[in-house]
Amino acid sequence: MLSLLIFIPLLGALLVGFWPTSINGKLPQWLALSCASLGLLWTLVLAIQFNLGQTSQQFAESWPWINSIGLNYNLSIDGISLPLLMLNALLTCVAIYSTDPSLQRSRFYYSLILVLTAGVNGAFIAQDLLLFFLFYELELIPLYLLIAIWGGAKRGYAATKFLIYTAISGVLILASFLSIVWLSGAKNFAITSLHSTSLPLTTQLLLLGGILIGFGIKIPLVPFHTWLPDAHVEASTPVSVLLAGVLLKLGTYGLLRFGMNLLPAAWNYLAPWLATWAVISVVYGLSCAIAQTDMKKMVAYSSIGHMGYVLLGAAASTPLSILGTVMQMISHGLISALLFLLVGVVYKKAGSRDLEVLRGLLNPERGVPVIGSLMVIGVMASAGTPGMVGFISEFIIFRGSFPVFPVQTLLCMLGTGLTAVYFLILVNRAFFGRLSAQVLNMPRVYASDRAPAIILAVLIVILGIQPAWLVRWSEPTITAMVGDWGRGNSSNPHPLVPNPQHPTPFIGELANGNYGK
Amino acid sequence: MVTMGNKHRNYPLPEYIKRLQTGGALLSDTPENLLEVVGILKSYGIVLDAYSKNLIYIANEQFLVFFPFFKYFNGEISFAKLLRHWWHDRINFEYAEYCMKSMMWHGGGGLDIYLDTKEFQDRAQAVIAAKFKNNPLILGLNQLFPDFLTEQLRVYTYYTGLGQFWRVMSDIFLSLSDLYDKGEIKSIPQVVDHIKEGLVVNAINPVTYAVKIRGKVYEIIPKSVGLTFLADTAVPYVEAVFFRGTPFPGNISYNAQAYQVPPDQTRFQYGALYADPLPIGSAGIPPTLLMQDMRHYLPEYLHRIYRQSRRGEDDLRVQICMSFQKSMFCVTTATILGLMPYPLDTQDPSEERANQIYLGKWMERLKTSELLNVDK
Repeated sequence: MLSLLIFIPLLGALLVGFWPTSINGKLPQWLALSCASLGLLWTLVLAIQFNLGQTSQQFAESWPWINSIGLNYNLSIDGISLPLLMLNALLTCVAIYSTDPSLQRSRFYYSLILVLTAGVNGAFIAQDLLLFFLFYELELIPLYLLIAIWGGAKRGYAATKFLIYTAISGVLILASFLSIVWLSGAKNFAITSLHSTSLPLTTQLLLLGGILIGFGIKIPLVPFHTWLPDAHVEASTPVSVLLAGVLLKLGTYGLLRFGMNLLPAAWNYLAPWLATWAVISVVYGLSCAIAQTDMKKMVAYSSIGHMGYVLLGAAASTPLSILGTVMQMISHGLISALLFLLVGVVYKKAGSRDLEVLRGLLNPERGVPVIGSLMVIGVMASAGTPGMVGFISEFIIFRGSFPVFPVQTLLCMLGTGLTAVYFLILVNRAFFGRLSAQVLNMPRVYASDRAPAIILAVLIVILGIQPAWLVRWSEPTITAMVGDWGRGNSSNPHPLVPNPQHPTPFIGELANGNYGK
Repeated sequence: MVTMGNKHRNYPLPEYIKRLQTGGALLSDTPENLLEVVGILKSYGIVLDAYSKNLIYIANEQFLVFFPFFKYFNGEISFAKLLRHWWHDRINFEYAEYCMKSMMWHGGGGLDIYLDTKEFQDRAQAVIAAKFKNNPLILGLNQLFPDFLTEQLRVYTYYTGLGQFWRVMSDIFLSLSDLYDKGEIKSIPQVVDHIKEGLVVNAINPVTYAVKIRGKVYEIIPKSVGLTFLADTAVPYVEAVFFRGTPFPGNISYNAQAYQVPPDQTRFQYGALYADPLPIGSAGIPPTLLMQDMRHYLPEYLHRIYRQSRRGEDDLRVQICMSFQKSMFCVTTATILGLMPYPLDTQDPSEERANQIYLGKWMERLKTSELLNVDK
């Protein structure tokens, strides 16, 4: 069943790319969208059949592949990967739908998008280190091509920079994975067969270092972030949507799944430093966002800052903070996708993203008032305004992290204020005041331009009002995971830093008012 | 002669002075302008007709009603009409009231002068006494605050004054449209001539106001006062609504304390000829109401042009406003030409000079208007 998540988009890519007769116009887009919708539908079927009470992996598939190197085709999902799969399926549909129908070489483009989706899906459901790595690398190639071929003026530079960074990331991750397997004496790369917790702390620290830098590049965390603003600025809007919405989550997912889960003692040892790293990433990323005049670059730096929250929650490693990291991955996926979509529409209509040029776009007749209103919703969600999903995820992270790292959490909370600062600058400059002369005669905005952004905005509000609809998928898995992690960590013969003896409230306890009693 | 030439050069917009002197209009004579102006004046005529009827209805039937809940219903109250009103699918009579208040505030003309006379006050007191004959509370309050109800009646005189003015203008604009449809109007100067002729023909129409209380008629502005259409309603209206206007909150925030609003009303330049069309469509600004009303009555030939524009109907109200400003420059041209001190074709140098100075002063006022923007 899970294989369909990989094979539907792959077959779709083959169909669109190698259709025997010439297909032009909107047909490639509709073919790709149909495949992506089928993938979304299948993900929803899986979600319906997903057993919420079961904490272990579900829908497992296992096939031997290359026994000589210990590579097996092991797939399954749990409460962490399922929401990410849903996010990927949704944003793929949004990205394909938002693509300019007049795009050149569209068949190749849509094929690459579908291969990208297959790679991401594969990475989220792989239960084998090497298989994960293969899928992780698989998505790099289409993403590189999508930026290099359909990007902006400096696309070559941005794509190459992205490739170099992520290649280094891949090498570090592969080296760490191979070391984990070989040093722990495992017979294959299956996650279940690994015994990495028995490794000495120093070894774990070295391995974790590789994983942290490897996934830190992908997330990206400061100072490994410099590829991201360039990639976003040069990438087309749909690619930015996928890049910010889903692909960055591979990094945070990797940190949780392989950093925290496989090397708990080292993770625990480094946790205070990781929390401090999160603070640096948040404050630096968001401060840089304030300095930007390119709307897209501003949103890109915003992503860097908000990914720092994920690291904070993961570093704290309480059930609540881990839940917050998963929530933040989803909420950031939705919010950043919305913001990039809206910036894309503004750029398409106004021909500029420069905050020195744009002004008065909320003008009811000649501006883009609906897009502007959605932008206001987007920035409010990003700044953590209550009633939106951004508030829920950030609150849960802060609530879960504060008992463990109060100083770092408080410093990270400054980020919400910084977010409000730069997004107010963005909205005030670009959307209020008199419409600037350069954008007096913008082309009209059609319902099709607005539709994907409206869908995302509605989801952001609904999940903000009813967060339980999102939490329910992950909560049991995280409870079990943190429980296992605690046991694994305590089994370490030489813990350098004891487990934090702090209460670890869970969202259910908070909701019931039982916490602290 | 040399001196005159220098003066000519000192006035702004000399090309427009030249154009007016040679029988042209402020607005260039192009087929596109003609179509826009006639089309928009047709819809404006229909809207003015409704405004006019309502203003006169309010003045005649709703005067001194403290809570005129149904003043926009013209006496036809039904649940269906009420629902339509709440749904806002109606003529925005509030715009007419905005213009009326603007006229009253800026004053000017014989009506303004008459309202401060003893005669008006006596007539007003007679009306108040009759209206509240059986209401000792109000009569008592009127004794304590004699200016309040009198001032209310001044407002109703402006209701009727503007209503009577728009009655004439509506007919002028609709007849213009009929002539255009018959192919008899083929240029912008012909449009101007038609409006000017209408203004001149109705120039001495008397402006009167009388109300009926319990079967007895009370004259508030009798014919004997001598108020006339052109001098006492048309000119003050053009001054108040076309030129001065009021600074309403649009995309610009006015700070009167920082002297961003001139302390002297005569220096106001917020009227229709100066209005930035871009904020049109924003909630809470009066011109939006007018454009909203006109969009319901656009002739198909004009609506088609708007639909074919870059943004289609997305910026319809801004496009209507820009066409409306073009048409208002035609009305202004008619007013300028109608009030010329001497005939345009005079051969007398002193009269020529006077005409030149007259036109130059108009251009001084128009140099900051939207003229150059709409006449590209």
